Amino acid sequence: MTDVLSGLEAGFAVALLPLNLALVMGGCFVGTLIGALPGIGPINGVAILLPIAYGLGLPPESALILLAGIYYGAEYGGRISSILLNVPGDAGAVMTTLDGNPMAKRGEAGRALSLSAVASFCGGTAAVILMTLFGPLLASFAVKFNPSNYVALMVFAFASLASLVGKNPIKTLLGAVIGLMLATIGIDANTGVARYDFGVPDLLAGIDFLVVVIGLFGMAELIHLVEQQVTGKFTILPIGKSFVSMADLMATKWTILRSSLIGFFIGVLPGTGASVASAVAYGTEKRLASDGDTFGTGNPKGLAAPEAANNAAAGGAMVPMLTLGIPGSGTTAILLGALLLFNVTPGPMMFQTRPEIAWGLIASMYIGNVALLVINLPLVGLFARMLTIPQRYLIPLIAVLAFIGVYSVVGNPFDLFMIIGLGIFGWVLRKLHFSLAPIILGFVLGGLFEDNLRRALSISGGDWSILVADANSLVLYTLALLVVAVPLVLSRRKRMALDTEA
Amino acid sequence: MADRIFSGLLLLVSIGYGVMAFTVIKAPFQYDPLGPESWPRILSVVSALCCLGLLARPDTERLDLTGKTSTRLVVLLVLLAAYAALFEPLGFVIATLLFCAVLARILGATMGHAMIFGVATGILGFGVGAMILELNLPAGPLRALM
Amino acid sequence: MKMLKAAAALLLSTTLAGQVLAADIDHPECIAPAKPGGGFDLTCRVAQQGLMDTFGKPLQVTFMPGGIGAVAISQFNTTRTDDPNAIVAFSSGSLLNMATGKYGEWTEKDVRFLATAGADFGAAVVQGDSPFQSLDALMEAIKADPQAVVVGAGGSVGSQDWMKAALLFKSVGQDPRKMRYVAFDGGGDAIAGLMGGSIQLYMGDVGEMVAHMGTNVMRVLAVMSSDRLGPPFADIPTTKELGYPDAEWTILRGYYMGKNVSDEAYNAWVAAFEKAYADPAFAALQKDKGLMPLNMAGDELVASVKTRVEKMRAIAMEAGLIK
Repeated sequence: MTDVLSGLEAGFAVALLPLNLALVMGGCFVGTLIGALPGIGPINGVAILLPIAYGLGLPPESALILLAGIYYGAEYGGRISSILLNVPGDAGAVMTTLDGNPMAKRGEAGRALSLSAVASFCGGTAAVILMTLFGPLLASFAVKFNPSNYVALMVFAFASLASLVGKNPIKTLLGAVIGLMLATIGIDANTGVARYDFGVPDLLAGIDFLVVVIGLFGMAELIHLVEQQVTGKFTILPIGKSFVSMADLMATKWTILRSSLIGFFIGVLPGTGASVASAVAYGTEKRLASDGDTFGTGNPKGLAAPEAANNAAAGGAMVPMLTLGIPGSGTTAILLGALLLFNVTPGPMMFQTRPEIAWGLIASMYIGNVALLVINLPLVGLFARMLTIPQRYLIPLIAVLAFIGVYSVVGNPFDLFMIIGLGIFGWVLRKLHFSLAPIILGFVLGGLFEDNLRRALSISGGDWSILVADANSLVLYTLALLVVAVPLVLSRRKRMALDTEA
Repeated sequence: MADRIFSGLLLLVSIGYGVMAFTVIKAPFQYDPLGPESWPRILSVVSALCCLGLLARPDTERLDLTGKTSTRLVVLLVLLAAYAALFEPLGFVIATLLFCAVLARILGATMGHAMIFGVATGILGFGVGAMILELNLPAGPLRALM
Repeated sequence: MKMLKAAAALLLSTTLAGQVLAADIDHPECIAPAKPGGGFDLTCRVAQQGLMDTFGKPLQVTFMPGGIGAVAISQFNTTRTDDPNAIVAFSSGSLLNMATGKYGEWTEKDVRFLATAGADFGAAVVQGDSPFQSLDALMEAIKADPQAVVVGAGGSVGSQDWMKAALLFKSVGQDPRKMRYVAFDGGGDAIAGLMGGSIQLYMGDVGEMVAHMGTNVMRVLAVMSSDRLGPPFADIPTTKELGYPDAEWTILRGYYMGKNVSDEAYNAWVAAFEKAYADPAFAALQKDKGLMPLNMAGDELVASVKTRVEKMRAIAMEAGLIK
């Protein structure tokens, strides 16, 4: 414990140097802007700005602090276009649209933006604190998490998402299956066999998650807006000067705390990141909340849960990278590359050989989270003003932003046509009252589910009992059962209580 | 009716998907008992069952599309496709300029405003995206100027 | 706004510094056709650092995962055949895919091989406290029962990661189809699998092990090379000296470009690499990344690749991977 404190003290001494302080603030600001662009999230932001950070000729700890600032900033920025435009800013911000956008449509854009900023801050800060205290311990747990545990985690994820069932359960299930089917396109990771590529090389790698998100959400929203404009259904959104209130915070405090924990633990695991974390947190909160049935119509809890979780996951993903040198996500792999670029080898040795970098980076995460809150809250009004852009300009702008996002990340014009096609599909689904979230979640979880199931069975040589062979899996299956059963029991008990009163 | 047409079409897709899973997809040899074909097989069956369920009990009757709306949406899609097709050949600035100006005009902006908006979006978008953020955007013929 | 202006000014200065090469290489980029963390990532890092002096800024490393490189090669045969800015990392694994037709219609004739980053060798890696403290002990166990150990690697069946395991099994007379093999999504996940105990043997590359040398977490049982490597791998025995000369796997790492790239741009890149090869710092960089110096650029590499692919095609035919 004294090690941690003295390390942290030394780290703050590094992070609070005026240059580093300026860099973390600058990185957070630029990161927020990048993250706000639909489609361009932390991974691309960091990858794109890495050469610039290197080119500035900064000492390694300063360059890393800048990159970490960009990483956090982009994770914060993702919520902005989710809330305002109903277009997810990045993969982790899909669930944010579900309640964030309805709030904005009610004229509470300011409240939604400020509440989500606070939730992000809490998630991010909780993650750094947990990392400081339990980092190495958690990392060794994370690598022990084997393929059959991932299968159990996926079962838990699907169980918590069962709460998303809308008016028509068949449509929800069909949506999830469509997502799962989309995820099977491309080369099979186990046997190398191509599936459903129809000879198109652009499909060999499968469909990029970003393309699915931008297509189904962004382009579908665009078509929807044009339709509304023609039919005259469109009304100018009221922009009240709303802001998050103390009552909001009190109402969401447990949601934020639980979601931060869920997000952090899922983030620590290699292979699962912000998108899985926010989905599980949202599903769990919807299950647990007494007003769960209003999720999806602008419930502040439904907004706070995914935002706390995706920022906590961003922090969690740093744990295996810093402590073991294993990147748990695409973004941390790039940060790992950045470390190697500066001839710093991450892993347990780093805390001994280069403490100024290891602890400086951790200290800068504390500062970065505060900086982001300070930067974001005053800007809420400015961001909310985006909604006052007239439709005739806003609609083309959404298309341009979507094209920039997809092209700059994937670099393939084929995907521009893909998002248009998926946009039409998404719009038709919306017209038919399908919810789009199950499709996205089926898509995210499907590949992880199938690959890990088959990996587990390869390990056991075909013996299915491996799936329930250890404590991690059993705990997760129990949780899955609870998350499905507890709300049922609670609602029955409530009904019985009402009956006896009557 | 709309639900029926949609689920009918999706049923055909599911059947096609299933036929491929049951016949075409196969690995020379594999180490897991499932192989590349089992998962898609399960999905095709579930999907087909869902489609049948929806065929039997549809809940959305009509898409509520008027002729005027459909025309406008077709125009939008043509514009988007043209934008995608011209994105690389013309480069970001020119393609964006054209797309934004035409779409803004169609959506009700005056000719002058639409032009200004198009030019501004093209140039500012490229300036911020490609120059400041170093995003990968096609320069097109304007590359010569830079 | 000030911040943006300052950033713009900084950017402008770095861009200006970069204009020493041919005019059309203004945005040098190395494409790693995989997810971050594996061998292609490493290959791109070598170019990123090795060519920094020439370009005045590090190359942008872009990840294009999927299809073990098929996506990259198809993109460089469809939309970016003449992109003067981008080089794509390849390894002998990519050559194997070309040889076995895994890239569909695209073969070694459809790209322009540019230069090498160096060579690497297969490695058999176990956990530090593994019951198999020597390759012989491991091979004994495999000989007695091909299902005795769970083997994992970052590639699917038929990939070079799988080939390394297959060669090991074949050298004790076991059928590779009888092993327990787990395909992970890249080397990073496979290493995590080894550290977590999901697999007992990881078939990786020596180069990936640099960061883990000298720790007790992982142990390299043998390098799949014919000669001993230099430090920090000098203490690791080779498969050849341990009596398994057939279990040899050399990984050539390098870069290709689209086949329609202008000679001007291609030659500028070749010159950039040759300049780097002459610099002792490049050798140090290779060593740092666990690569052995094997420097070839331009026509020399093209010829070398051609013979390698033909050899691989013959081996694959024999192993029944292609008909």
